[in-house]
Amino acid sequence: MKNLKELSTKYRGYLLLVLLALLVAAPLLGFKNSTIRIFCRILMCCTLAGSLNIINGYSGQMSLGHAGFFCVGAYTAAILSTRFGVSFWLVLPLAGIFAAIVGMIVAIPTLRMKGIYLSIITLGASEVIRIIALNWQSLTGGSFGIKDIPRPAFFAFTFDSPLKFYYIFLALAIVFLFVSGRVIHSRIGRSWISIRENELAAKSLGIRTSSAKLVNFMYSAFWAGICGAVYAPYVQYIDSAVFSLDEGFNILSMVIIGGQGTLVGPVIGAVVVNGLTEVLRPIGEWRFVMYGVLIIAMMWVRPQGLAGASDSVLAGGRGWKMKKGKISSLMGGSK
Amino acid sequence: MQYIVDQLINGICQGAIYALMAIGYSVVAGITGMVTFTHGEVMMIGAFAAYYSFLLAGNNIFLGLLFYFGASWLLGVAVYKICYEKFLNSPRHISLICTVGFSMVVKNLAQICFGANRKPMLNIIDNRVFTLGPVTINLLQIVILTVVVVLAVLLSLYMSKTRGGIALRAVSQEKTAAYMVGINVKRTAMIGNCIGCGIGGVAGMLMAIYYQTCYATMGSMLSMKAFSSSILGGMTDTRLSALGGLCIGIIENFGISFSSASFRDAFAFCFLILVLIIRPQGFAVKKGARP
Repeated sequence: MKNLKELSTKYRGYLLLVLLALLVAAPLLGFKNSTIRIFCRILMCCTLAGSLNIINGYSGQMSLGHAGFFCVGAYTAAILSTRFGVSFWLVLPLAGIFAAIVGMIVAIPTLRMKGIYLSIITLGASEVIRIIALNWQSLTGGSFGIKDIPRPAFFAFTFDSPLKFYYIFLALAIVFLFVSGRVIHSRIGRSWISIRENELAAKSLGIRTSSAKLVNFMYSAFWAGICGAVYAPYVQYIDSAVFSLDEGFNILSMVIIGGQGTLVGPVIGAVVVNGLTEVLRPIGEWRFVMYGVLIIAMMWVRPQGLAGASDSVLAGGRGWKMKKGKISSLMGGSK
Repeated sequence: MQYIVDQLINGICQGAIYALMAIGYSVVAGITGMVTFTHGEVMMIGAFAAYYSFLLAGNNIFLGLLFYFGASWLLGVAVYKICYEKFLNSPRHISLICTVGFSMVVKNLAQICFGANRKPMLNIIDNRVFTLGPVTINLLQIVILTVVVVLAVLLSLYMSKTRGGIALRAVSQEKTAAYMVGINVKRTAMIGNCIGCGIGGVAGMLMAIYYQTCYATMGSMLSMKAFSSSILGGMTDTRLSALGGLCIGIIENFGISFSSASFRDAFAFCFLILVLIIRPQGFAVKKGARP
């Protein structure tokens, strides 16, 4: 086991290259369109869950309203490209920036709060965004949604099949993982992690925690917005029902099952959750029951997720016990 | 004028139901020290228990009350055993996610067992209208207000006068100290959780009677109202949570009378966010009174 780990760190670059080559070649092996759609969804979820992980995993805030930012991005892209005919490549950053602005608006009242307050405000904000999208008839088309969102084109080359979109999603996921990996190890990323580990200590070391948290929220919302902007032309029709709380919980469950606070966790989570969704399709309605059971089982067995470390603050490991002090052991430990 | 008074009455009545939900929620949050996302599902089960009890046992609201209180209580035990007991010492987000998972299980099981359609609630209270000067109020609203007030008074008597209630308050204030003076913390926390769930179940039934319908996905919206009300009240204080519920009910009804009914849920949240910007601790006087 240890050897394996050493080997994988030694040849990390090669491994990543092989993985990349596999990912690029995978859809060319002649899968059905429906299978490729599943791949697309998995890749999209990698980015979405990864961006939620930036909030939940790295800065330790508990945001539940990620579907809202996704919704803002998708609607921005749909409205800009159908009403004003803006090109996809311009829409992409615009949607991200707009989602980041919404993220900032959500974050400002929540900055002074933590824990459950933040969770509920973000949940509420996501629901408010959905309600606005559902009821602002003149702008968003209300319950009819927005139809005929134009496909992106690169000069004469139109992205008009799931196969071609697969590469957009793949590129998005790779760019996201690369940039996030860099950001996490930069100054701001380290300050996020220090907020997660102990906010008071971070403050006393001179980190401006509220501005760091604000940036954290905006960064995460930015990527969710971009994801939405790719999603809208991919499905060509969006309505507000897609961005319900259930979708938000779905994204959350990917982050949790994969492992919070690790870059690779949400990727694993996206693969596992979406894979399970497809595998369990025959049992129909019971699928969501299984989901719930799986989440509970995960929390009982491995609260840190599949890829998480067992002693992290998030898992109630050593870091958490140090933070909480020894007196809690009087209560009779839970483990 | 007449219109405003009518809206005020509607708002108070709806706010009373929200207040009851918020009381249940803050009892759970205060005593277990955990946050729950199953509250909406508990209310939904209460509403369905009401539906079936009226269907099978006739229009007896008291028999019904007992029945759904019991159903929600049992669900409360399940929630406690699955989502809280193991995690009393762990970071709070673990049990939070457990409750999210549990609510998914319950919601989807309910959809499978009870069907996805809306069920019309039987009309158990005849529609009589009383007029008192500018105030018109119907019998249903009187019944709802009475049930809410009676339950709230009973709860506060239980909390302040009985031995069990004092143990509950001790656990909610400081678990370790309660442990030291010989209180069985785990069992007390379970009872507290069940009381909260039971009250939530009654609120769900009142909601179902008020809107004359119940359906399997009604929980999510209700739980949002319960959250916002109890956050307005500072989360753990039952009285202030009740006040928060009343406020949200009134604001909502005035809000929708000036715009369209589809923005009902948005109003509650915008109000909540506005209040939290000015006063992050809600109505609570004490700073740092958060769980």
